[in-house]
Parts: sequence; C-alpha cells; structure tokens
Amino acid sequence: MKATLNTLLRTSYVAGLGILIGLSAAVIANLFVAGIVWMNDSLLISPRSRMMASSEWLLLIATVMVPALGGLAVGIIRHFIDGKRFHGPPDIIATVQTRQGVPATQPGLLSGIASLLSLGSGASVGQYGPLVHLGGLLGSLWSRLFRMDISMGNIAIACGVAAAISTIFHAPIAGILFAQEVILRHFSLRALAPIAVASIVGYVAANTILPQPPLLQIESAEILHFWEFGLFLLLGMASALVAVAYMQSILWVGRCASAMPIPAITRPAFAGAALGVVALWFPEILGAGGENLRFALIDEAFSRWELAILLILKILATAWCLGMGFAGGVFSPALLIGSLFGALFGSLVATLSGVNSSAVVVYAVCGMVAVTAPVIGAPMTTVVIVFEMTGHYPLTIAALSSVALASLTTSRLFGRSLFDRQLHQRGIDLSGGRSKALLTAHTLQALINPNCLQLSPRASVKDAMLAMSQAQVAEAYLVDAAGHYLGTVHLHALIGAAPQDEARQYAPPDDLCLYSDTPLWESMQALREFVGERVPVIDRQYRLIGAVVESDVIRAYLDILADMRREEYAPN
Amino acid sequence: MRLINTLLVCVSTSLPVLAAASPQPQPTPLVVASWGGAYQAVLEEVLFEPFTAATGIQVETVPYSGGLEILEATPPDLIDMTKNAAMAACEQGQLIPLTFDDLPDGADGTPARRDFIDSAFSECALTHLLYATVIAYDTRAFKGFIPSRVHDLFNLQDFPGKRALQDIPDANIEWALRSFDVPRESLYPLLSTPRGMALVFERLDALRPHTLWWQAGSEPVELLESGEVVMASGYNGRFFAAIAKGSPIQIIWDSQIQEHQTWAIPTSATNQVAAQQFIRFATSTQRLAAVAERIAYGPARHSASALLHKHPDGFDIRPHIPTHPYNNRTAITKDVGWYARVRDHLHKRFEQWQAGGSS
Repeated sequence: MKATLNTLLRTSYVAGLGILIGLSAAVIANLFVAGIVWMNDSLLISPRSRMMASSEWLLLIATVMVPALGGLAVGIIRHFIDGKRFHGPPDIIATVQTRQGVPATQPGLLSGIASLLSLGSGASVGQYGPLVHLGGLLGSLWSRLFRMDISMGNIAIACGVAAAISTIFHAPIAGILFAQEVILRHFSLRALAPIAVASIVGYVAANTILPQPPLLQIESAEILHFWEFGLFLLLGMASALVAVAYMQSILWVGRCASAMPIPAITRPAFAGAALGVVALWFPEILGAGGENLRFALIDEAFSRWELAILLILKILATAWCLGMGFAGGVFSPALLIGSLFGALFGSLVATLSGVNSSAVVVYAVCGMVAVTAPVIGAPMTTVVIVFEMTGHYPLTIAALSSVALASLTTSRLFGRSLFDRQLHQRGIDLSGGRSKALLTAHTLQALINPNCLQLSPRASVKDAMLAMSQAQVAEAYLVDAAGHYLGTVHLHALIGAAPQDEARQYAPPDDLCLYSDTPLWESMQALREFVGERVPVIDRQYRLIGAVVESDVIRAYLDILADMRREEYAPN
Repeated sequence: MRLINTLLVCVSTSLPVLAAASPQPQPTPLVVASWGGAYQAVLEEVLFEPFTAATGIQVETVPYSGGLEILEATPPDLIDMTKNAAMAACEQGQLIPLTFDDLPDGADGTPARRDFIDSAFSECALTHLLYATVIAYDTRAFKGFIPSRVHDLFNLQDFPGKRALQDIPDANIEWALRSFDVPRESLYPLLSTPRGMALVFERLDALRPHTLWWQAGSEPVELLESGEVVMASGYNGRFFAAIAKGSPIQIIWDSQIQEHQTWAIPTSATNQVAAQQFIRFATSTQRLAAVAERIAYGPARHSASALLHKHPDGFDIRPHIPTHPYNNRTAITKDVGWYARVRDHLHKRFEQWQAGGSS
C-alpha cells in the first residue's frame, strides 16, 4: 500500500516537473518568437513592414542601419559575456554528455538577448538554436531550484529543450525525439515520461498562449512515380555536400574573422552593415527568411538562376553573420538553403528527364530536411517534424529517403553535426559515444594520492630498500630538488643489486607516468599494458604530484558507467 | 421547447435595457448612419423598431456609403462601418474607444468575450457581422465537373468561359496567390514581396483575355444571370438574394474573403449613451441571428450562429451563411490593417498592370 502510494507520488512529481518546465519553456519560446516578429515589423525587416514603409529612402536607410546597429548592440553584449563567446545548443549538449556542471546562467541569458537582437535586426541567423538553448537553460534552472541530482538535472534540461521544439514547430513527437537524439543521446524509459509531458504541454501552450503560426504548412504534395524515391536518395547525397559546404563556411568565416583588423566588439556592426548593403539588391537574405522558404515550395516562384544565386548568397550570408559574431542558430537558414537546393534539384530533374515528375514542393521538402538533419545531427527529428507539420505520409517517406543518405554521407565527410564539431574544437569529443565522452570529461585529478614515497636521484639501493620497507610500499619515485619526476624504482628490481649502487640505475627507462589532467578514457588505455600498483602523476611542468592506484582508476570508470546506466535504466 | 428557451432568454436579456431606459421620459433620438437598401430594411425591422419599442428612444437614419467623410461636419451618433474604415478613423481619434465589459453573455451562457469571433473587438469598434467576397458560377455553364476550389477560377482548361472580376486588387490578389497552394496564414506576408506580386500577376495575366471588370456590386449577378460570364466574384449577400429568387447561381465558398462590419461611435456624437445602449441591444445573440437569417451574413457571435435556422420565407438559411462551419473552413480574413497601409501602392501597381504592362 505504502509502496503504491510512493509510486503515485513519484509519478506525480515527474509529471509536475514536466508540466512546470514545459509551460515555462513554451511561454519563453513564444515570447521570443513574438519578440522577433515585433522587432522585424517595427524595424522594417519583414516584407510586410517593408511594403508598408512610407518612403523609399527610409527603407534604404533602415536596410543598412538596422543590421549595423543591431550588430553593434550584439557586439557590446558579447563583450560582457564571460568567455566572450555566445552560448548555444553545444553548451547544453556538453553539460548533459559530460555530466559535469550546469549550463552557465549569465552567458546563457545574455546569449538569448543577443540572439533576439540579431534576429530582430535582420541578421541571417536561425532562431531555433537559441530557443533550444534557452529551453535547456530553463530546465536546468528549475532543476537547481529543486536541488535535483545530475541525472534528474539532465532530464530537466531535456524537458526544456523538448518543450521549446514542440512549441515552435507544433510538433510534440519531434520535440521528444530531438531531446533524446541530440541532447540525451540515449532512449530511456525514465526520461521519456517527463520529456513527453513537457513536450505535450509545449504543444498545448503553443496553441493557447501567444500562439504563433507554424513554420510551414503544406496542403498538397503528391508523389507521382515510385521511381522518384531513387531521386530522393540521390538528392540526399547531393544535399550532404551542400550541408558540408554550409558548415565549413561557418567554421571558416569564424577562423578568418579573428584574424581581421577589426576589434571584436565592432565586428558584428561591420558585418551587419555589409549584410544590409547586399540586402539592398537581395532583401531575401535578411532574417530567417520564412517567406522565401514558402516561395521555394512553389514551382514558378524562382527561376533556376535565382535559386542558385539565392542558395549561395544565403550560405555566405549565414556564415558571414555567425562567423563575424552575431548570435543565433544554424537551423532555420539550413531549412531555407536546403529547400532552395531541393527546388533547384527538382526543376533540373523535370528538365533533364523530360517526364512529368512530382511537384517541386516534394523535392524542396526533401532537400530541406536533407540539409538540415546533418547540420543539427538529428535525422529522425527532422523527418518527424515534416510529418507533424504536414500530416502528409508519402512526403514523410520521401523526406526519410533523402535524410538517410544525407546523414551517412555527412558523417563520413564532416562528422555527426556542426554542434559536435564545435565541441570537438573545445576539446569535447562525442564521436566515440556517450561513455567515451563521459570518461573523457573526467580526469585523474580526483584520484591522485599525494602520499607516495619520493627519493633523491642520488639515493643508494640500500637507502631506497630501507625507505620502501619502512613505508611498506614496493615502488618509490625519484624526484630532483625542484620536484621534477625522474623515474620509478621497483623493489623487485633492487633485490640482489649492490647496496651502494645508485638506485636510479635500476629504474626502467620506459616506465609509465600520467599527467594529472589526463582524461580517464586515456588513462584506461595507458593502463592496458601497465603492470604494477600505482602510476606516478605529474603536472605539465613534470613535477610529481602523487600517484594513482590502478584499482582506483578502474573503480572510477565503473562508477561513471554505473551512473550512466542509472540515468538510462533506473526507474524513477 | 427550443423556441420557449429562446424567448425566455430574449426577455431576460432585454430587462436590463428596459430598466436602464425607464428614468428617461423624453429621450433624444439616436442618429444611425446606415447603408440603405434591403440591408437597411432588415435593420429597421429587427433592430431599430424593437430598440425603440424597448427603450422609447427613436432611431433616425442618415445614408452612408462608406468612407470617413461622414465624420466631418455633424456626424451621426452611430455608424455601421467596415472595420477597415473604423480602424483608420480610430487612429485619427475620430471615434470613441469602446469598452466591451457590459456586453450580454451569449444565449447559451458563453461569456461575451469568448462568444464573439476572434478579433471582433477592436479599440473603437465592435464587429456585428461578417460579409464575404466570394466566387460564384453559372450552374448552366458546366457539365460533369463543377468548379469547387479557388484554383478553378484560374483553370481555363477545365472550366472555359469568361470571368467577371472586381476592378480592384482586393480579393483578386489573394485568390491568385491561393491558387499556388499558399496557405491562408502566409498570404499577406507573401503578397508584401515583389516575388509574391509577380506570381499574382502571372496568374492574372493568363486570365486577362477572358476577364470583364465590374465596379458596382450588382454587376456580377447580372453578368452571371445573362450568361455573359461563367464565373464571377461578388458579395455573398448579392448572390444570395439572386439565388433566393431562383437565379442559376452557385457560390464557391473556398477561399471566401471575409470582412467585418462594425458599430462605431464618433467622438463628436451627441447621444453617445444611447449609442452604447444600442450596441448592447443590437449585438445580443438573438438580434444578430435575426439579422443574419434575413440577409445571409455571418453573425459575430458563435451563439448566434448556433441559432441560425430558416429564412422568414421558410428555406434553410444555413448553407448561405459565410461563417457557417461548412462554408468557413478555408475562409480568408481580410487583413484590413495591411490594406489600409498599402492601398495606394497596391492600386497603382494594379492599374499599371491593367493598362497593359504585365507584372
């Protein structure tokens, strides 16, 4: 009876958690989007406001000045962020995957504001990355308020992320998938319940509190021939190349930007002004580009040349804005780039084959998901988003065909996603899976025992054996006057040696020692060949800090794996 | 039973009005600006006369045909305005801001706030009915398949014949873009781009050799009846009146474009208290339903839509109401704020196109 009651209480707690996080994330997400729309309308960025503008001159001035001034504000905010970089989904992923720390609050909130300003002033960046990040941060804040442990904290983060996606795309299942596919990177029953509740609350709230129209509505998209599925696969492979070009451009501009003779604080302002000047001829590159996404689905809306030019301009504009220091995501530009590419592919197919193929909308949607999925590393999520937004089953299967090969090709050419690549650059490697990431995130530091026997390099065999027997150890470390580590002598090597010899002669030349910041993962690899009790540990100046016992390393390894398993499989 | 219920609610909602009116033995008449014709005759019958009977306040009418000129000189106490015009007048401070807290609940008990359709409440105006611009066709013109979607207006292959379209961009541009499967929510953002307008003119270009342009609301009905055109755009009330007297006309409800008709009170009106009293009286569930049953416009309250049944001549009115759920599924709500701001630009562009220069 008591057990039943406990279970019910526990379940209510989990549901309550989901509701709380889902609701707050949904409200934040809708406020964020409403804020962007409001800024775009007020600042003459949205086509609607541009058409309503009272004079041509005002429009010209606004086109250049608004992104420039927005960039200036973004540059100033960045100056005040700890670490001088904007936070985004990679920071959330890193927190969850390494089970260490929490997403930083100050940089997180300032990054959110900077993203709002970037998007509001027309920078060519995405809105979904910042929303995912804000959702995760919100989940983390709630978990800290309720003093949850790391595992529950991670689930809370996933709840926030799921609710944000669900709210924005009106796609609750995609929200759940995204949280599991990109953030948690495992599927667990324990996490599913609260994440699903948060996602559903997000969906409900999306339609009731400050409702925003869904990103994309598709009324009809008929697939005429089954052989076209072969073309969708082909489109997937081709889209992978576009995705790789897009991601490489972002990284490349980022690298070039730091070499530019422009102070970091004014770099986004410069970038905004340049963007605005190009936008005088191609206003399509301003903002997230929802209207163009819609046009890309219409056969006659673009000529083939326009599709190609806009595709290249949008890749460049997004790489330029992100690399030069605007804050924002990579998702919505990827949607537009992909749909432009898909439309181009579709129109070429129609011409080359000379057959009456399916409408361009099908190819545009396939290209859209096939470019987006590898960029964010979420193939299933993007396919489900198509299904939930359009309710169109054949279209979803077509999208799946394209995504399948796009993800595979990109992972060979580039890596799992832009997020993982960015984390890799920060020293967090997620390519070996969750356990490796966790073991890489923990170092030997906590396991070091500073009490170990140290000997002068000039100590004799006799002195060394005496010291070892007194300390009841079988190993001693040779350390010079400055504390530098010189080698290890083992008791068994000294037995039978001449007592007056220097003990140093008997130290093996290739003994193992580890740096104190060596990750557990590498330590385990190093210990494969090791025979002995303890491994000496040194700092980067080669000074001996202490030693680790092999069994402690193994215990830490097992503990981490056990934590991970508990997060995935333990009941609530 | 249903009738008795309705009567009871009727009485109970009228009581506060009676009580409020009783301390005024010699009330000043209420001057209402109204559109004349059959529409005004209906208002006389179901709104003005019953209002006088209930409150003792006489209703005098002055003619109105749209626009804001009526607000100059001596304006009336109350105007039956399009929402478009009311928004413009409100922005210029020519209308008083309205409060909507004292509106009676719906006949089914729904609070007024939820009973009225979305966006019925604007700062200075209260929507009381919706009328629609629709596409209609001559039922004698087509054998086999009949047109049913907005796409068919532009489909000369399956539905050949002349079209009659209104001589303004309104409705034509929405329909042209809708025929590319653009969802209703994206219409106005896309119409704001040069690319969107280029698509519109591409569609209209193809139709141009087959199009007659009409100006007065009565023309499309006459053109259809005479067989001069096979499809025409027009106001649903006009088509309804023709259909009611047996004309071979059928309305395509797909992508009908709905506009709000509102009550608004000028700032310099002398009898504002009576005007407000009238708005409360005229927007009750039963009054809205009574108006709609006679002229086939959509009532602004959900509860009134639920009461709709028969035209006084005995036929079922529901299939003729633009806001009926069956007709309403793909309705476009005209973005009057957008039109108010881009009208000049839009008309210039449209006239250029009509003069011969394609997009």
